[in-house]
Amino acid sequence: MSASIEYYCPCLAESPHPPPPHLASSSYSFHPLHNLYFCEECDAVRCNRCVLMEVSGYFCPNCLFEVPSASVRAEKNRCARNCFNCPICRNTLSVVASDPEAGDGRMSPVVSTTLGEPPFFLFCNNCRWDSAEIGITFEKPTGLAAQLQKFEDSAPEALEFEHLKEHFEPYLRASSSALPATAAHSHHHVNPITAAASSALARDVPGVGKYNPLSRSRVGRDKNAGKQEIPDYKSRVEIGTLGALGAGGGNSDVEFMRRLEDMSEVAKLEQRWVNSWTASLRSSDLKPLRIPLQVKKSKRCPACRHILIKPEQKSQSVRYKIKLVAANYLPAIHVSLPHAIAAMELMKRSSTLNKSLSSTVDDPSVSGLIPGKTYAFHLAFTNPLYDPIQVRLKKVQPVPVPSADADPEKARRVPFQVSLPTAAFGIAAFAEAWEYEDEEDMFGQDDDDLDMDGHGMATKDGRGKTRAVGVVERRANTTVVSGEVIITKEARGNIRFNMLVSYTYRSDDAEPAEENEDGTPSRSHAVNKAPEMKNFSFYTVVDLGAVVRREGSRSELES
Amino acid sequence: MSAAPTTPRKPSSYEPTTPIGTPQTARISGSHVIQSSPHYQTTRRHSLYGTEDRIIIDPGSRIWKVGFSGEGRPRDVFYACGEGAMPLWSLERASRPAEREEEEKLLEVRLQECLRSVFHNSLLTDPKSRKIIIVEHPLLPLHIKEHIARVLFNNLQVPSISFASSHLLALLAAGRITGLVIDCGHLESTALPIFSSRPLFPHLRTTPLAGSRLSQHIRALLLLFGTYMPPLTSVTAITNLPASSRSTRVPEEVLTDAVIEEIKTRCCVVGSAMAASETRAASPALSTSDMPSELESELDLPPSDPPASESEYSRVSAEPESSLSGFSLVEPAQVPPERARPGETHLQALARMYTRHSTATDLHMRVDPPPTQQSGMGRGTLVIPGWVRERAAEVLFEGGDVDESSVAEVILDSLLKVPVDLRKTLASSILVVGGTPMLPGFIPRLQAELVRAVSPRPSSGPSTPASGRGRPRPAPYDRYAPLRPLLPYFAILNNPAPPPQTSVPGSQNAGKAPAFTPASMAWVGGSLAGALKTGGVEVAREKWDEADAEFDEDDPMALAPDRQFSSPKSILPDWTRTPLPAGAPPAPRAAPNPVVHSPSTRAAVGA
Repeated sequence: MSASIEYYCPCLAESPHPPPPHLASSSYSFHPLHNLYFCEECDAVRCNRCVLMEVSGYFCPNCLFEVPSASVRAEKNRCARNCFNCPICRNTLSVVASDPEAGDGRMSPVVSTTLGEPPFFLFCNNCRWDSAEIGITFEKPTGLAAQLQKFEDSAPEALEFEHLKEHFEPYLRASSSALPATAAHSHHHVNPITAAASSALARDVPGVGKYNPLSRSRVGRDKNAGKQEIPDYKSRVEIGTLGALGAGGGNSDVEFMRRLEDMSEVAKLEQRWVNSWTASLRSSDLKPLRIPLQVKKSKRCPACRHILIKPEQKSQSVRYKIKLVAANYLPAIHVSLPHAIAAMELMKRSSTLNKSLSSTVDDPSVSGLIPGKTYAFHLAFTNPLYDPIQVRLKKVQPVPVPSADADPEKARRVPFQVSLPTAAFGIAAFAEAWEYEDEEDMFGQDDDDLDMDGHGMATKDGRGKTRAVGVVERRANTTVVSGEVIITKEARGNIRFNMLVSYTYRSDDAEPAEENEDGTPSRSHAVNKAPEMKNFSFYTVVDLGAVVRREGSRSELES
Repeated sequence: MSAAPTTPRKPSSYEPTTPIGTPQTARISGSHVIQSSPHYQTTRRHSLYGTEDRIIIDPGSRIWKVGFSGEGRPRDVFYACGEGAMPLWSLERASRPAEREEEEKLLEVRLQECLRSVFHNSLLTDPKSRKIIIVEHPLLPLHIKEHIARVLFNNLQVPSISFASSHLLALLAAGRITGLVIDCGHLESTALPIFSSRPLFPHLRTTPLAGSRLSQHIRALLLLFGTYMPPLTSVTAITNLPASSRSTRVPEEVLTDAVIEEIKTRCCVVGSAMAASETRAASPALSTSDMPSELESELDLPPSDPPASESEYSRVSAEPESSLSGFSLVEPAQVPPERARPGETHLQALARMYTRHSTATDLHMRVDPPPTQQSGMGRGTLVIPGWVRERAAEVLFEGGDVDESSVAEVILDSLLKVPVDLRKTLASSILVVGGTPMLPGFIPRLQAELVRAVSPRPSSGPSTPASGRGRPRPAPYDRYAPLRPLLPYFAILNNPAPPPQTSVPGSQNAGKAPAFTPASMAWVGGSLAGALKTGGVEVAREKWDEADAEFDEDDPMALAPDRQFSSPKSILPDWTRTPLPAGAPPAPRAAPNPVVHSPSTRAAVGA
């Protein structure tokens, strides 16, 4: 809805330039700053789509038990303790004891739950589902998963699967070729594969044997047919029998569906699609779900494999051992539209006076961008570094020649024109919060900046623009600059443009850097050094919000 | 956030984020820790899962199934890009280069998202140590395969990928290596004969009558015959207004993809075939008028009934209301412009006939009201007529179209292509897999349709399935006559309601497959192949990297899209690039008839 900015991660792409912002596929290349990482070795931004993730520990999100990786596989990534999800609403189930014998238990519920009446069951506090309905009860209130395990081990699909494996194993052993028969369809490749494949083609087709007109029909089972070939598989549970028993899949399901009165009697697709075995459609037959485990992930730079994120091992801890997030390296940028803010304020004030107006506060026509108008926007840069930085902005026009003097041809193609401050501006260093007041204006560059700002403004004025493009505010480690956007009449959709942000910072990568790291990182330290300046640039996409169409604004906004 | 480590500093320093003592040592020791410990972990996990445990990914255009080999069920099943969202790919590709490029990019980023989520959210395992088996639909476009391979190799750095044909894997899960597998998925239904684990790709046949067409059809039917009751405007209205007076035509916004999907998966059922005379009388109507209207419904509303037929509409709909009052609440914007269309009376006739023959109950479904009608309280109610639930899937069995064979016809077409001496074997081991056959009653109905299509036709020439169009023809061409001797042999392996046993050998196969669900068979087969250490040619990462590097050397100036299209050509297995062998001589067939579309026109699809 409102203006926003996202940062570009090149994700190891060859070209450093970001994709044009109006394409749907481009949105995947841009990320909010707080989702990005920064690799110091590569001096590059990394995002969640390109980092290498590694599991650093499994835990159950419900009981926070750290599952040793040995049992992760056996338990199929699910919690092996008492954690279950409701099959209906996915809420966490709680273990409840049966109602005690009439009278005494009612008096002391604490006692009854700690002692418990033997048949325990799972109960959903949200939708009131309970496992006794489907006949799942437990003798003791702990280790429920282990108690259910025996049912899972004897699950029909697991048994059938083993049966199938036994059926095929001798057949595969017989086909001695390195190339499995199942691969025979892709045998046409150059290089060794071809060779292997052609030999595979030349050999006897297992299961067919030598060509023999009498035995060509397998199913006909002529006298000679069965000799060489793989015997027919005999299913443990045939679907036909299962269907005839009414256990699922057969005519009973059709009848059930025909007579269905209430949709909720049928389990949702999501509730049944993991079942590989034909089972009942009814939602009343759903089983409780063991809660899936989660992992703590460490993340590495895809290029140099250095660790960017390493969480602490303990599942309760939310700290990180290593955390190289981009927010510590790149200036944070906040975009705002002064006219929208003003409009909002106005609305709020008027809505307090007049209640009936309150519904129009979020009306896009007030804060939105109207075609044919010119708007100023503010970019607030916040410096996370201990050193002041110099920032230079450059807009990137997807269409060539981003000339300021819009000739009509260009204007038709580019729905808006953006002016950004062209001069570099400084941002003061980050300091601990309590140091702010005194040091705000300690920096020498400020004057230069102001000069440059003045210059920038002068040029604008020369062209008869009323709005200022340049630095508008400076406070602590934040500098606010203003840009402006001219929206043409034809503009529609979102006003988004790419912006290249380059900043110069004091580098201590070189020799002195190492001593520097010994001491406390501090401003004074940096000032004493002969500064070695380094440059870093990154692309962003600025989204100033949607252009409001006067007619049918609603649907326009949604699209 | 710990205070000390996160103190921001210069970009080049390690110190702020390493919580250990002196920065210099921290740098070294830290990197040591970094290097060694995860490595240790991966090796340990290696032994945990076993190096030979593969990851099986069954990527559909909408639904993905993923898991480890050797397990009987997938670990996770998910919508590739959210329920109701556009499928990852469709049967069409943009033709303009710019759009094409954008489409490719979008596909790649979405695939990347899915594949990363497979490892990081579903399986919680390290991709670098896992070999992958991709369950590959035979018609999966090569560019999608390349994208998948690129993401897996470049982004996730898996050690190797194998592609295995989904049809073959499904057959393995049924315990067989020979059979005719029809996969009825979302975009297409594809029949592929497989003999002795060799997929006979040249005999592959496909039709777009599948899940997505069914969804479109359900939407069209509901727009015409469904009823919608908007939420009440106030609590008092409950008592004042009878439900019937609130009923309106279904606004199109109500039928979101998610709603249609839910109706399809929770309400629909496939009714058994109706008496031939009745169905056939109505079927030309459906193929001439209904099909265009539903194609159109993607763009605009289907035609409304002419006023004359509104009485019928009310008879069809759930509430015994007068249609006038039913429409009284409709805002002008929602009522489609009244248009007279030819064939509507056929639709009405169809509806009437189905209503008469359907015993399915009408269902009430709570749906979110359209955003333009947000005035009421709570959710609206959608009434789904019982016959729509039961007969929506008729669209999949409506044959007669040259380009869009019915699901049964596609099996028979494929069977016609197969060498004669294999036909009997294949006809008696048909396996139906995919998501759409999960509809209750689908497989028994398919069996009935197969039998009906092959059965000797009644003398009433033009109303036979093979010549479904209403146009008169010189002589009814009996397309499946060569298959007629196979009639007693037709058997669907995973038919949950097999026809009564006969003494004919092949037909005894019916219903003999293990009771895996049709939707998961391909995945289960993949898991089986992984457990048996087979499963297609492995493409190792080294090979891929080599090919990538070679390509870069060849043409460093190549544009990205070009590269995407041409780079790994020599690496990924692809049956369509096989020079087709001369093969067996064609099966003797009835004398060629000029009217008939020759099967070779369909071969283009397979190629």
